[in-house]
Amino acid sequence: MDPSSLNTAEVQRFLNQEKERAMMNEMVAKLTSVCWDKCITSTPGSKFSSGESACLSNCAQRYLDLTLIIMKRFQSMQ
Amino acid sequence: MDPSSLDTAELQRFLSQEKERAMMNEMVAKLTSVCWDKCITSTLGSKFSSGESACLSNCGQRYLDLSLIIMKRIQSMQ
Repeated sequence: MDPSSLNTAEVQRFLNQEKERAMMNEMVAKLTSVCWDKCITSTPGSKFSSGESACLSNCAQRYLDLTLIIMKRFQSMQ
Repeated sequence: MDPSSLDTAELQRFLSQEKERAMMNEMVAKLTSVCWDKCITSTLGSKFSSGESACLSNCGQRYLDLSLIIMKRIQSMQ
């Protein structure tokens, strides 16, 4: 197989999109898991209680805040 | 192998289907694990009790609800 066929801009673009999608999916899965553990501490009901809803909302935001903080810290170290 | 046989549209379709399947399998495994831990807290019987059944049903649904909430939150950030 001619390896230069793997070097097109098109393949690169496709791979970058796939990487982006994979990272997003990973973040969604991680946040769901983390905030479930942190906020759903009793038997799940037929809907989220207002307390649980508030906790889940805060949890997601704080975790994303933290991700950004860590990322900036690493970038500033280079 | 003739690299021109890797038609990108066909390949992308195949990859999309495989990704979809993989994500579904992963969600099934995750839900099973999470809701087992959350709802099966006492000695195992010869079948699920009605309390356990209700918990398992709610748990599955709530976790999927949360997953969707998180997904929308992350998408809205872009």
